[in-house]
Amino acid sequence: MTALELRRAEARTIFESRGLPTRRVEEWKYSDLKSALGEAGLGEDTAYVRLLGRLPEGVEYCDLVNPKPWAAAHFGTLARNAVSEASLAFAEGGLALRVPAGKAIGEPLLLETGGAGHARVLLVLESGASLTLFETTDTAGTRNTGFEIVLEAGAHLAHVRLAQPVETVQVEEIALSLAARARYDGHFASFGGKLARAELIIALEGEGAEAHLSGVSVLGGTAHADVTTHVIHRKGNTRSTQLFKHVAGGKAHAVYQGKVTVAKGADGADSRQTAKALLLSETAEADLKPELEIFADDVKCAHGAAVGDLDPDSLFYLRARGIPESHARAILMYAFLEDALEPVANEDLRGAVRTGVQAALRSLL
Amino acid sequence: MLEIKNLHVSVGDKPILKGLTLSIAPGQVHAIMGPNGSGKSTLSYVLAGRAGYDITDGSILYNGEDLAAMAPEARAAKGVFLAMQYPVEIPGVTTMTFLKAALNSQRRARGESDLDAVNVLKLVRARAKTLNVSEDMLKRALNVGFSGGEKKRLEILQMAIFEPKLAILDETDSGLDIDALKLVADGVNALRAPTRAMLVITHYQRLLDYIVPDRIHVLVAGRIVAEGGKELALELEAKGYDKFVKEPA
Repeated sequence: MTALELRRAEARTIFESRGLPTRRVEEWKYSDLKSALGEAGLGEDTAYVRLLGRLPEGVEYCDLVNPKPWAAAHFGTLARNAVSEASLAFAEGGLALRVPAGKAIGEPLLLETGGAGHARVLLVLESGASLTLFETTDTAGTRNTGFEIVLEAGAHLAHVRLAQPVETVQVEEIALSLAARARYDGHFASFGGKLARAELIIALEGEGAEAHLSGVSVLGGTAHADVTTHVIHRKGNTRSTQLFKHVAGGKAHAVYQGKVTVAKGADGADSRQTAKALLLSETAEADLKPELEIFADDVKCAHGAAVGDLDPDSLFYLRARGIPESHARAILMYAFLEDALEPVANEDLRGAVRTGVQAALRSLL
Repeated sequence: MLEIKNLHVSVGDKPILKGLTLSIAPGQVHAIMGPNGSGKSTLSYVLAGRAGYDITDGSILYNGEDLAAMAPEARAAKGVFLAMQYPVEIPGVTTMTFLKAALNSQRRARGESDLDAVNVLKLVRARAKTLNVSEDMLKRALNVGFSGGEKKRLEILQMAIFEPKLAILDETDSGLDIDALKLVADGVNALRAPTRAMLVITHYQRLLDYIVPDRIHVLVAGRIVAEGGKELALELEAKGYDKFVKEPA
């Protein structure tokens, strides 16, 4: 067996021994994966990962059946929870991408995960490299994606994930490792599913590394969307910011769980977390849980969460100016989300997220 | 144009307006003066259709139609405009975006076609200039970080853009220094027209030095207790409201 095959076998053993997480597992407290999946569970099929459009010049790739050494060196090293072990065990193949040292890729790389089953992606940005990644999802199938991202010293990844509204269970675990001065800007837009979830596990391993997360979810009907993050500041002068905003109507359920750990010795770490939810009905639900664990000295950490309704004075103001109620509500909902969309630096991608958000808001009215 | 008869309005269980009667013809500017708590703002909100104000008796006819039966947006489309005492701040919506949405909503409700972005911009810029509303203000989020004077100027700019038939100005003078007050008053006076009626609501006579009304009504404890020409304002300024509070007419 190759090292890779051994790792896959190990993943299978781990998944089989732990099984699917229940709500007793802290990270899954508000999302009942086991019951959403039902009898079928996660299955053992392979979903696909593909590039949309062309591969930007300068980006290298290989599959994960016969990975090149640079891919094999990182594959399966970051993920450790049961669900990501399942994707490691069952996804046959998958895609690995690399931006070589010092290369700045201007054109965004467009990636789609689709189909039913498990998928794996590995992305390596070597030192000083930079890339913008746009990730989207197809609407079919129950899917479990495991994504590993390695950012070497000084690398910069701008990542925008736009998850289409689905009827199924789609979960993705994104595990990142950032070396010194590396920077990750991640934006996560979701329109929910039977259970739609993005889980981020971000290790700021090097001095001065930074992660900036933002995201929006717009949910109606019985949609459920979950963003769960864990940012670990392992070294000094690391920074992280998080801004997540949710709009939920109908019987929808929005979840944000964000844990920030500042490890011993990570002095001068700076972390900020904000999560807000707008509930449009009595039956919509939001669970926002920012959490801090600090083992270092001299750190700056702040967090806040708020759940509210549309401001009646603002609504009246817009209507008194002739704007019909449903349009006025849409304007205010959009306004609520706006600052969480602003961090998307690439204008085309921000436009794509905006379009999705506006369509979702219209369907809520 | 506006016929208010025996209007009784409660907020919650508390009666605020207790039999107010008032009528305004096109081309006229009327002022309502009254002390704090007399029901001035209640009247303005009832006319604009804010929720939470229950009409328990009486009627409001606007060009012969029952105003109270209309949604706030329908009133706006039919030409009712309230310049608010406290314009709300709405982060995330630029002033220009808001103006375009409002203008086109009103046009659509009247069966007119939308104005495109270029024409909205032209219209807004032309009106903004005379009211000293800067390009920067138009680009900023609606009323966010605006000074008191900027907020009031933006209210009058909206009035200039929407060209209402009935404009209600609720304490437009509050929080303005004399220069800002003159600027706003000039803006309002420029909009006086034979087809337009205005109702200026104020606590102080000061504003009425600049926006000279055809008629003044004194509102005390939810009722009109005195009426007269513009000279009534001077009398109120000199003697205060005490006379009316103690001896209701």
